[in-house]
Amino acid sequence: MTEVSIEQLTKDYGQGPAVDGISVRIAEGEFISLLGPSGCGKTTTLKMIAGFEDATRGAIRFDGRDVVHVPVEKRDIGMVFQNYALFPHMTVERNLAFGLEMRKIPKTEIRDRIAKVLDMVQLTGYAERYPRQLSGGQQQRVALARALVIEPKILLLDEPLANLDAKLREEMRVFIRDLQRRVGITTVYVTHDQAEAMTMSDRVVVMFGGRIAQIGAPSDIYERPANLEVAEFVGQVNIVRGKVVNSIVSTPLGDVPVVGHYADGADITLALRPEAVELLPVTAGVAGVPAKVLSSYYSGSLVDYRLELANGTIVNVQTFPRTRFRDGETVLVHAPADRFWPLGSVA
Amino acid sequence: MSKPFFTVYCLVIYAFLLAPILVVVGASFNAGAFLTFPPQGLSFRWYGVFFNNEVFMRAIRTSLWIAAVTTVISGIIGTMAAIFYVQHSGKLKETVRIAMLAPLLLPEVLTAISLLFFVYSIGVGTQTMVGMIVGHVLITLPFVFINVSASMESYDPAWSMAAQSLGAGRFTRFRRIMLPLIKPGVIGGCLFAFIISFDIFTISFMLKNVGTSTLPIQLFDYLRTNFTPEAAAVSTCSIVLTLVVVVVSEKVLGLRIHRF
Repeated sequence: MTEVSIEQLTKDYGQGPAVDGISVRIAEGEFISLLGPSGCGKTTTLKMIAGFEDATRGAIRFDGRDVVHVPVEKRDIGMVFQNYALFPHMTVERNLAFGLEMRKIPKTEIRDRIAKVLDMVQLTGYAERYPRQLSGGQQQRVALARALVIEPKILLLDEPLANLDAKLREEMRVFIRDLQRRVGITTVYVTHDQAEAMTMSDRVVVMFGGRIAQIGAPSDIYERPANLEVAEFVGQVNIVRGKVVNSIVSTPLGDVPVVGHYADGADITLALRPEAVELLPVTAGVAGVPAKVLSSYYSGSLVDYRLELANGTIVNVQTFPRTRFRDGETVLVHAPADRFWPLGSVA
Repeated sequence: MSKPFFTVYCLVIYAFLLAPILVVVGASFNAGAFLTFPPQGLSFRWYGVFFNNEVFMRAIRTSLWIAAVTTVISGIIGTMAAIFYVQHSGKLKETVRIAMLAPLLLPEVLTAISLLFFVYSIGVGTQTMVGMIVGHVLITLPFVFINVSASMESYDPAWSMAAQSLGAGRFTRFRRIMLPLIKPGVIGGCLFAFIISFDIFTISFMLKNVGTSTLPIQLFDYLRTNFTPEAAAVSTCSIVLTLVVVVVSEKVLGLRIHRF
């Protein structure tokens, strides 16, 4: 197992840095995701770790050894590409054997290791097939097996699920995560899909404009986003602005006490996740802010409401469909004060 | 266009294209002393004359040898150029393409005369085959380039990257991944190069050494003074030879296009 340490990594193609001095330490056996919109530098970062792109500045260390000047083929990485990049003129077996042959592994051992890895990805019996004879999900698993069979130092995945349909994508998330845990390999996973990053990763690196916006466990990123950009990129969010008076922010959804060093009169932005808000029917004796239901979207396990407060503020709420409210109906909105998360001063 | 009409249309086109060849083949079996069609009686007489004609046999050997050398050189340079063109030329892509196709755009006779001046001005001259082969390579290069770049367009660079991530160096990546996948284009291009080189007249005529000649030149020379069916026999043999090259390459090397 390998610890990967990235220090002040920068890539500049000549028109401003695509990756701008990022540093992150990936622990042995950790599953880390690089998450961000397209053009944020996540793929460039992955390519630099793999060696397909030269770093303009900075260091990439595998177990303390700087590999910046080591060519891809000597870096001992396993990589899974977005379109799998299986060799179309080779059977599954030949595809899997390729990396082992490059390492001059004896024939008998190659056979054993291929059998083992095929079992691991549940494709025993598919050795003689050509990639074009496999489904997307199967090709995906062959690509994983090909990357893992060489027992590389680290596993790199570049949006590997982007080409699969929604149901298969969810299955593969679990499959890859379980496999990674079993093998215990240090893994870097690039995605623009926040749900993928959250469900699979030990830690998520959120990137914007070539810089790291936040590094943290999925729950940190979601519940305690570092800034407005992160909050909005990772799931839905209601943004509430207000002024701090005596460590309390008055918002249309009630007063929120804020802890920390906020001066009186400071403008502050609060994030409130839609599922943190409760909706209650208007009955006597129940506390809450009245709001009108503008629209609702039923998606089976959940319902998304769009509400309007008396002062015109729009609030998005997500609830279980146990109690349904009709469009136009007035409801009471209850947002627990401890579910607001301060995002710092108004940008 | 209705289907029966289209079929007839195709047949007529084929007939138009192939009739002259059939006439030549037919005329070669002439028993008489003149090149006529329909042949006057059937015989292999003129084949016998041809095979015993040392001048023609030497010309065929020269042509085959030049075509083989040309194919190898053109195949290597054209393939390298096509790979560069598709994967690395970037903004220069259009310029590279035009430069590679230039020999096709210029009249062959101009290329031939320029080359003749060139080989003498650099002191190479026409005493060796060098000038002639350079000329043949120049003319055949675009055909290799076009065929290989067509194959390269459907080559996914991620295949090379995947091989590299698995530990394959530059040469191994080419030999085990890229070459097998662009093989139909390379072989197709080389076949073109071979057949066209075998057929080139103008360049060979300008750049040949005194005393050596290729088959097309020899045939032309012969027809100036003779009008026997031997010329048809020679032509038929070169048609058969060309077909043999195509069929053998297909069987041995595999022109089968990989479908994904």
